[in-house]
Amino acid sequence: MNEFIAPTVEYAELSPLLIVLGAAVVGVTLEAFLPRRGRHRIQVVFTLVALVAALLATGWVAAGLDEVEGASGRGLIAAEGAIAVDGPSVFMWGVLLVFSIISVMLFAERRIEGGVSAFAGQAAALPGTEAEREASRQGIEHTEVFPLVLFAIGGMLLFPASNDLLTMFIALEVLSLPLYLLCGLARRRRLISQEAAMKYFLLGAFSSAFFVYGIALVYGYAGSFTLADIHAAVDNNTGSTNLLLAGMGLIAVGLLFKVSAAPFHAWTPDVYQGAPTPVTGFMAACTKLAAFGALLRVFYVAFGGAQWDWRPMIWVVAALTMAIGAVVALTQSDIKRMLAYSSIAHAGFLLVGFAGAYGGDGITSLQSVLFYLAAYGFSTIGAFAVVMLVRDPGGEATHLSRWAGLGKTSPLVAGVFAFFMLAFAGIPLTSGFTSKWTVFSAAWAGGAWPLVLLAVGMSAVAAYFYVRVIVLMFFSDPVVDGPTVSVPSLFTSSALVVAVVATVVLGILPGPVLDLAQQAGAFVR
Amino acid sequence: MDATPFLTLSALLFTIGAVGVLVRRNAIVVFMCVELMLNATNLALVTFARVHGQLDGQVAAFFVMVVAAAEVVVGLAIIVSIFRARRSISVDDASLLKY
Amino acid sequence: MDLDLYVPILAIGVLGAAFAFFSLAASWLSGPRRYNRARLDSYECGIEPTPQPIGGGRFQVKYFITAMLFIVFDIEIIFLYPFAVAFDSLGWFGLIEMGLFILTLVAAFAYVWRRGGLEWD
Repeated sequence: MNEFIAPTVEYAELSPLLIVLGAAVVGVTLEAFLPRRGRHRIQVVFTLVALVAALLATGWVAAGLDEVEGASGRGLIAAEGAIAVDGPSVFMWGVLLVFSIISVMLFAERRIEGGVSAFAGQAAALPGTEAEREASRQGIEHTEVFPLVLFAIGGMLLFPASNDLLTMFIALEVLSLPLYLLCGLARRRRLISQEAAMKYFLLGAFSSAFFVYGIALVYGYAGSFTLADIHAAVDNNTGSTNLLLAGMGLIAVGLLFKVSAAPFHAWTPDVYQGAPTPVTGFMAACTKLAAFGALLRVFYVAFGGAQWDWRPMIWVVAALTMAIGAVVALTQSDIKRMLAYSSIAHAGFLLVGFAGAYGGDGITSLQSVLFYLAAYGFSTIGAFAVVMLVRDPGGEATHLSRWAGLGKTSPLVAGVFAFFMLAFAGIPLTSGFTSKWTVFSAAWAGGAWPLVLLAVGMSAVAAYFYVRVIVLMFFSDPVVDGPTVSVPSLFTSSALVVAVVATVVLGILPGPVLDLAQQAGAFVR
Repeated sequence: MDATPFLTLSALLFTIGAVGVLVRRNAIVVFMCVELMLNATNLALVTFARVHGQLDGQVAAFFVMVVAAAEVVVGLAIIVSIFRARRSISVDDASLLKY
Repeated sequence: MDLDLYVPILAIGVLGAAFAFFSLAASWLSGPRRYNRARLDSYECGIEPTPQPIGGGRFQVKYFITAMLFIVFDIEIIFLYPFAVAFDSLGWFGLIEMGLFILTLVAAFAYVWRRGGLEWD
């Protein structure tokens, strides 16, 4: 038998991950032993402290990354080749943790619902029964959402940093399973919320089955799960090309599902509409970031040598995604659904950057996509935070017609929302413009100019429906007994302020963050 | 060792699972089909591990099994809660969310 | 393919089937036949059977909860087997890591216990 060598784990470099996942386990224990009264406050404080600690640890790790000899990146491969702690990983960790902190502040909001959170009081109580009313009368609520969201964040941190396919699969599940549950926990419109959870779960499980079968085939091709070994196998052209192509395709299905690219986007509108709005914001910003990180890592690092096989496929997917997102959004009458299609369209724009696969001088495709994700995430969380505020007696007023004339009754909230719409549309002086500019120019440099032309056209189409909302809010008459705008607690207001400020700053002074993205360099093998 | 029979079986199982997900209406059955796909993956992983003469693939099969179990728990929780609210788990009946 | 290899398996199968038939036949021939309600009920380790889903009824949700808890805690044991195989070479590192793994399971277990997931009624 071979000599067995105990593995080494770089605990210091992995500390952000360990802090978040450890905090999630402690959060479960807190759930078990704390009395119901006061649990909410303790969980919120604990979760936020853990996330801030992880953010600080990320900063510390980022400062200590060494240059890799003979390669362009900085960083190291930790945990026996399972996790890559390199520039892009650390950049994504930082951005993810900032988004998570903002999202958790939205999760913690209680004033809007009159003293309870946006999550079901008791998920086991049937909708519309006396048991449910009793639960909300007593102010019972599920504080389990905080450990759940910590687990999801832990998975998201691991997903784009995983350096072998098996770790990536585990990370995918760790981030998905809590999200399925969170989607089904809305306090209002619970049937819709449960339905969203079921759809997300069934389709998510379906796509992850494709993903893992793809992993098996690629393993059969390369004889290893590690991305670097797969890269070597692709370069040396060992094994059967059929296995590689089939495996690559199936892995792409799993990842494109998570980034909600067409034709794997069908779940997005339903889930975004049905899920509790704070969860929707969290998913739209963080899942997208983590999934794009993983997509880029797999295809640039492992399948970089087979570029000419996958680039045509990504071209088609990118074109389709932009077209479907932008055109179908025009017909939506629900604000959350419209934002979902907008998120699909943005996934298309991001795929344009990905398809460019430009790795030369200046800003590479990877760096431009990282910047785009950071800029887009702030505006998205902000937009969903505004959706939380505009309310009817029965919950959020998500029908678009209810938003008519909002600019006349509550100019501040409508103004903030209009600003996010302009950022989504990519109007200059917002983060949307700078991020689109960097992604499209990197794609152009990579030779994907037909795709860039299409993307610019689709941006114009998308701008139409964003501007339509603004026109609706400011230039039509307010509806009779229209929605009220709730005054949020400090949590939501500060989250909104951060989102607005970030969107402005990234629009006017993108330099520092762009530099950070550029310093992230390239993936380490 | 000739791996073709094993891989063929694995591909067949995977296809049966995928088709089942697409054509069946009962959420539990749909879910069982997903589990079938995962098990087909396990067969492929173990076969490739044998072909390459390594243990990696077998370890991966362990992880896939554990993930499948976790998925069962989350999935059943969601499906049971839907069933209790609606007395039906047909995926066609769940149609509150559309355009 | 050399089919001789499968002869022992076939023999085991035949032996197993023979044993099953033998046991059933022996108890049928030798045992007394007295039927009462307790005999006809389904066997649940000797305790009073919980209500049955006979006649179109459905299993209660608590069955699913118990089954789910069982599956999760049962499957996690998978990771203990490879650890047990390489226990010597892994040394303290392996022991501590496994301790941490068990600790996370204990956290989940504590949650289930405190929330009454283990209570039947």
